[in-house]
Amino acid sequence: MKFKINLRTVILVLLASFALSACATQKKAGMEGDVYTGSETVKYLASGVPDRVFFATNKSSLTTKSRDTLRKQATYLRKNKNLNITIEGHADERGTREYNLALGERRANAAKDYLMTYGVSGNRISVISYGKEKPVNTASTPLAWSQNRRSVTVKVN
Amino acid sequence: MIRSLIYSISFHAVIILLTILSLPFMLRQPIDLPPIISVDFIQISDKTNIPYAPKARKVIEKVKEEEKRVVSEQAPPSAKAKEKPDRIPMPDDKKEEKQLVKKKQNPEEVEPKIRQSSEFEKKEIIDTNQIAALIDKAKQEEALTEKTSSKLTQSSVKNSFATGLTLSQEDALRAQIFGCWSIPLGLPYDDNLLVRIKLKLKKDGTIMKSEILDHERMNRPNQKFYKILAESALRAVRICQPLKVPTTGYEKWKDLQLNFNPTEMLKG
Amino acid sequence: MYKLILISLILFLNTTFANSLIKVDITRGNLDPLPIAVSPLHVDPKSENRENIKVKELGDKISKIIENNFRSTGLFNPLAKDAFVQKPDIAHLKPRFEDWRLIKAQALVTGKIIVKDEKLKVEFRLWDLTASKEMIALAFTTTPSNWRRVAHIISDKIYERLTGEDGYFDTRIIYVAESGPKDKRVKKLAIMDQDGANTKYLTLGNELVLTPRFNPANQLVTYLSYFRNLPRVYLLDIETGVQEVVGNFPGMTFAPRFSPDGKQIIMRFAKAGNSDIATMDLESRVVERITDHSSIDTSPSYSPDGKYIAFNSDRSGLQQIYVMKSDGSNVKRVTFGNGLYGTPVWSPRGDLIAFTKVRKGRFYIGVMRVDGTGERLLTENFYQEAPSWSPNGRVLVFYRETKSGEKGEGFSAKLWSIDITGYNERKIKTETDASDPSWSSLLSK
Repeated sequence: MKFKINLRTVILVLLASFALSACATQKKAGMEGDVYTGSETVKYLASGVPDRVFFATNKSSLTTKSRDTLRKQATYLRKNKNLNITIEGHADERGTREYNLALGERRANAAKDYLMTYGVSGNRISVISYGKEKPVNTASTPLAWSQNRRSVTVKVN
Repeated sequence: MIRSLIYSISFHAVIILLTILSLPFMLRQPIDLPPIISVDFIQISDKTNIPYAPKARKVIEKVKEEEKRVVSEQAPPSAKAKEKPDRIPMPDDKKEEKQLVKKKQNPEEVEPKIRQSSEFEKKEIIDTNQIAALIDKAKQEEALTEKTSSKLTQSSVKNSFATGLTLSQEDALRAQIFGCWSIPLGLPYDDNLLVRIKLKLKKDGTIMKSEILDHERMNRPNQKFYKILAESALRAVRICQPLKVPTTGYEKWKDLQLNFNPTEMLKG
Repeated sequence: MYKLILISLILFLNTTFANSLIKVDITRGNLDPLPIAVSPLHVDPKSENRENIKVKELGDKISKIIENNFRSTGLFNPLAKDAFVQKPDIAHLKPRFEDWRLIKAQALVTGKIIVKDEKLKVEFRLWDLTASKEMIALAFTTTPSNWRRVAHIISDKIYERLTGEDGYFDTRIIYVAESGPKDKRVKKLAIMDQDGANTKYLTLGNELVLTPRFNPANQLVTYLSYFRNLPRVYLLDIETGVQEVVGNFPGMTFAPRFSPDGKQIIMRFAKAGNSDIATMDLESRVVERITDHSSIDTSPSYSPDGKYIAFNSDRSGLQQIYVMKSDGSNVKRVTFGNGLYGTPVWSPRGDLIAFTKVRKGRFYIGVMRVDGTGERLLTENFYQEAPSWSPNGRVLVFYRETKSGEKGEGFSAKLWSIDITGYNERKIKTETDASDPSWSSLLSK
């Protein structure tokens, strides 16, 4: 009897752990709502400083995670006062071209404004929008589109 | 032990049976039959040539002026005015369906059958009592009309009323021209685009003379769409020769006026 | 006795209705394309060969271009040449109408050309076969290298005569020629005749170029270029190839168009992070801001009389189309349907605005009246946008992109055109992938 019970609990525990691990992989590749929260396409300015933040469809507002990332970037930039950066704004392919150019710019400006409130001088930051012209993921899937809706900080010197 | 087994099986069977019977795809829905309207195939050809039916005539004129087309939902009555085969005037014979308008270019759904019903027909649906009374009278006068018709043709060619052509003949003519008329698609939707062409016909249906009424309008500078429309109408008429005309009553139809009005087709 | 009364009654009643004529209303016809025969133009044997133009073949080539133009409209049905009875030279002088009618043609085009003294002289006639008479007879002279335009001009004249509308065949389309993988696209400015011939590339492809537009005189192009990684509006002279930047502003400028008089460029202008619409006078280079709103305002389009501007704004929360007076006053929203609206373009006729609509993940090209009513969606696709009007306001050219696979494979972009009735949707042949088309006005006006 005891043995049987043990076996049952062991099986239950195994099943539960499988379920949880499935959830875990979901999160890595995944999105929260519409915003990409994974790390697949993310590059780093320095150790622990991600170079980009992501947005929801048609939106240019920063999520909590984005603000967290930008604060890290601000800290890094305050330490390296000689660094100048360009913030590139991008959009996914599911919109008209000209509007996407404006949306990309708005996203880049959102990141720039946030960095400025954390002490990075505006002179060091230039902004450019590529609209949907430079996707990072060329597939036509919601995941790809979420990875393309981004603001990327690029060192210029 | 066995008893409980039997009980269990029977209950299971009952439940399974119930679910099967209540599943949607198992249900047979009663067929929704449209109400059957009996159609009386009366000979229209001579009936419509009612020698005196002044009230009906006024009614027709009024309806034509209102220019309203009531779509008849009772499909069977319009079967009477279906597109003609090559014979005139036998409208109640079995006809093949004839797609008059190549609807591929017209986004709107045009139902040729329903729209074909002429005003007279429509009135018939609405005002059956009136017509019924007239038809009764006509039955009496049938013998007389035969005699008087010859007198009519001699003395007063210009005085045949109703339309002179029977319902089916008119529809036959219309249907033929519908097939020949290529409406220029560049025309703007304009209530004022109406081209009236007067024709003088020979007995075999070929055109002796054609004349555009208000043809001065053709040469006015900002009336180029009118000119295009008039030309397309003339082309239609010429291509359609020989027109399918009735074998009798030449005096009735040798002068014909065709009113070309594309507004319905352009209403896209 | 009875009978006598009846007879007299009948006769009496007969005379009261003195309407002699039978009147029949013809309210419908067919929408079949008009069968038209285009005879090859007769080449005068006295013609001299020029450079690399084989004059003998010109008559045939010109008639083929005319046929293609007619076929592309969906309104005409050019008949196959092997059924033609008369030779081109005789047909031009005195066609035997019965012979042509036999092949069911309703109209006939004949002509003759002669190349002499470095000039190309053209004469053509349009015949109404049902009336057995001439409808147009025209002659003109041009340089031999313009022989393609000759075909287009003839097509325009015939189109005008038979439909009442201005033609649109003697026009060019400017677009962005694309190639390469989806994330590293090479984009060049390209220009071609509206039938796809005569493609010329105007830039080299070293930097991104987007959204080109003609000026009304068709010799200048304005577009967005990422030259030196600075996205700015540029002007390009088609003849000389000279490019110049239109105002070096600190922020990005894009979505440029010309005003109807060609004297100003209107574009989307960025200042202090704000996206607004501004005009710049090409002579004085003075910039005037037209909108001043915290929302995204972009894609402006002038009405043909220059009095109004239609544009795209998300001031209501989502992309919609607005119309305002050209000084920026009286801004009115005109789209209220479900979905997003973008790329408004005012028809050269002034009666309609074409647009792109996005709804539930599908893209639509549509037209509506300038007050926003009468919205009609013409075509639906996975991705399509940026309609541009033909100069007669009857045809729209736009571009479509296909869905791509996991690694971006299968991606392509092509130009398409459609009639404003929603019919005659067809792909336009381009040498490479293509996007962002813009239609010129008639070259011959």
